[in-house]
Amino acid sequence: MSNAVVHADHGHADAAHHPAHQHHFDTMAQQKEAAVIGMWVFLLTEILFFGGLFVAYMVYRIWYFDAFAEASRRLDLFWGGLNTAVLIFSSLTMAMAVRGAQTNKRKATVNWLILTMILGSVFLGVKVIEYQDKFANYEVPGANYNWMYHEEHAAAEGHPVAHRELSLTPEQLQNTTQIYFSLYFTMTGLHALHMIIGVGLMMVITWMAWKGKFDAQYYTPVEMSGLYWHFVDIVWIFLFPLLYLVERHT
Amino acid sequence: MSAQHAHADAHASHGAGHISPISLYVTIFLSLMVLTGVTVFAAYVDLGQFNFLVAMIIAVFKASLVVWYFMHVKYQSKLTKLTVATGLFFLAILLGLMLVDYGSKTGPPGAFAPMPPPIDADSAIGTPPAR
Repeated sequence: MSNAVVHADHGHADAAHHPAHQHHFDTMAQQKEAAVIGMWVFLLTEILFFGGLFVAYMVYRIWYFDAFAEASRRLDLFWGGLNTAVLIFSSLTMAMAVRGAQTNKRKATVNWLILTMILGSVFLGVKVIEYQDKFANYEVPGANYNWMYHEEHAAAEGHPVAHRELSLTPEQLQNTTQIYFSLYFTMTGLHALHMIIGVGLMMVITWMAWKGKFDAQYYTPVEMSGLYWHFVDIVWIFLFPLLYLVERHT
Repeated sequence: MSAQHAHADAHASHGAGHISPISLYVTIFLSLMVLTGVTVFAAYVDLGQFNFLVAMIIAVFKASLVVWYFMHVKYQSKLTKLTVATGLFFLAILLGLMLVDYGSKTGPPGAFAPMPPPIDADSAIGTPPAR
């Protein structure tokens, strides 16, 4: 251990201690396991937090399936697919950052963390483009919501939208598709908020890594941010098919 | 010193925690990318009611890969694994009992709870569409 500190008054047989080793833990491994379990308990509350929204989504999807299928087609699969790829790639770079810390590679850890933050920012940038498109097409629930604007606009530009057999009238779609978009904005908005928090966390962790606070024996903050980031990735893994791929085959 | 302690100390001597090879991470990443492609492809194939089921099975499998390998649950203690399983158990209760509840309240057996009454034009939210 390069940066071991001797605590003469510690009462343990092995006098050499890692500076990050808190005295109420027997070993570094025990200390790390406590952190891992604590982080997972936090993530469980997050799972149930998002779970409530998934329940709401399921009930309304079953009630208004046609509206969900129609509204889902208003999302651009290109941006959604790109963001899925970006987020999965950022999970890889995050795993590599943790690995860098585990193997005592300070610069590699910092670089992988910076790359992860860049990918997270790309995701958020794409989300801004998608939201902007929804605002421009009057597809944000509320007083200015207009389901027909998209079709009228497309027809005015000379690309009329092909009509499908639907069980809902335009008046019903005007109301029921707002439920879909309300859930869309709530779920992706909450997910984006988690991304912003994740990038914020990583800024601190990157600074700590740069300062040389971590080594192979102690890299818990890197691993905990990693758990958080992977969790946010998992939420998107479910959001992508639920929001973008409700019904694309007809 | 118990066997567990000896095990933990052995870990601490060469760094805390399991170090996965880069090739494993790259394999998981590529699997996740391929499965994303499969999800999109499957959405364009008419499988009737099974479209949703297929999409969810793929998503659960992808999430499992992330949890097991990227989040290192595979290499954690039984206590950590139990903690993770507890969360999924409660999520299953939340989703499962909700669907059972809505699926059995009224109407014929097996039918979902009835849709709320349609919203009439007078109480419509936002600009009514032009016909």
